[in-house]
Amino acid sequence: MSRYAVNSTLYRLKKDPEFRARFQADAAAALASVDLTEAERAAFVNHDMRRINELGGYLHLVMSVPGLAAH
Amino acid sequence: MGKIVFAGAMSHVLDPDYYQRACGDEGRRMVTDCMTEIARMGERFSATRADALIVVADDHLNAFSFNAVPALCVRIGRSVPRMKQDHAEAFDAVLDHMADDYPLHEDLANAILEQGLDSGFDLAMSWEAPVDHAFLSPVNTMHGTRPVPPLVPIWVNAFVAPQPTPKRCFDFGRHIARVVAASPWNVGIIATGGLSHFPELSLPRVGETDTVFDRKLIHWMERGEHEPLRELTVGELHKTGEHEFLNWMVLIGAVSPARAQVRYFGELRRINLAAVEWSLP
Repeated sequence: MSRYAVNSTLYRLKKDPEFRARFQADAAAALASVDLTEAERAAFVNHDMRRINELGGYLHLVMSVPGLAAH
Repeated sequence: MGKIVFAGAMSHVLDPDYYQRACGDEGRRMVTDCMTEIARMGERFSATRADALIVVADDHLNAFSFNAVPALCVRIGRSVPRMKQDHAEAFDAVLDHMADDYPLHEDLANAILEQGLDSGFDLAMSWEAPVDHAFLSPVNTMHGTRPVPPLVPIWVNAFVAPQPTPKRCFDFGRHIARVVAASPWNVGIIATGGLSHFPELSLPRVGETDTVFDRKLIHWMERGEHEPLRELTVGELHKTGEHEFLNWMVLIGAVSPARAQVRYFGELRRINLAAVEWSLP
């Protein structure tokens, strides 16, 4: 169930510059209405792409979100 | 009566700067050598004066998001745009210097789609999906400054489980061969991606490849032994970082029992680079 929330959030961060800007300004606030587990939310707030990948985030997304990508 | 006049498969991040950043001088040198061979393959393809080029590749969660992920999708319509990504990173940045729009071979795409539905392949279709580096990096490397012929982009879901099986991809390739044979067109086909990289799609394992498995695949392709390829499982491909070999399986089905010739194979820690061409009757 959570895999969808993780990946749809990654997808929005990649494709929606406005959402990405809000996330980069205040990640917790940007994600307030997103249905994530606490572990998932913490990983996003910490910009921890390795953890996001462990939690089911697709590799090609965690490697290509502008400004946040892991390489 | 139509004919497949060219068939080739190749890695699809073809950018010396990308590999310089990812792998240093060795990466730049190896991808440059691989691109040289792909450009030569492109010259041979252009010499056939084919009517169309079918490109079988995968989506990297660019064309399709989580509203729908088709197992197999045919791009229809008259033209296709390249993907646009603001502040593109990594493999997405490969697209930035490429032309914006590419012609499609509408009649061939429609024939593959419509005859597919008639013969048991429940294909998805798209009028709007853009194409990313998986399509355009090989196409532009093959053609250089020469005009690109009308394309038929076909997506295989290589990454988002559950994927189609290698056998299903092979059988879809047989369908493509039948459509081309019954058509009035001479057609090229390429499959892109691979070889082994990103096992299990795990970030800590980026930088690992399975060269032994690659060599096994190459062995079977060179000998035209396609039954063991049909018996591969999605699980094996996931474990060995061969997800994109599903694209190759479509091509192999389209040209079976033709044998492959390796034009380039290079072991790089991040990815094993390859360019392969099939000897067609």
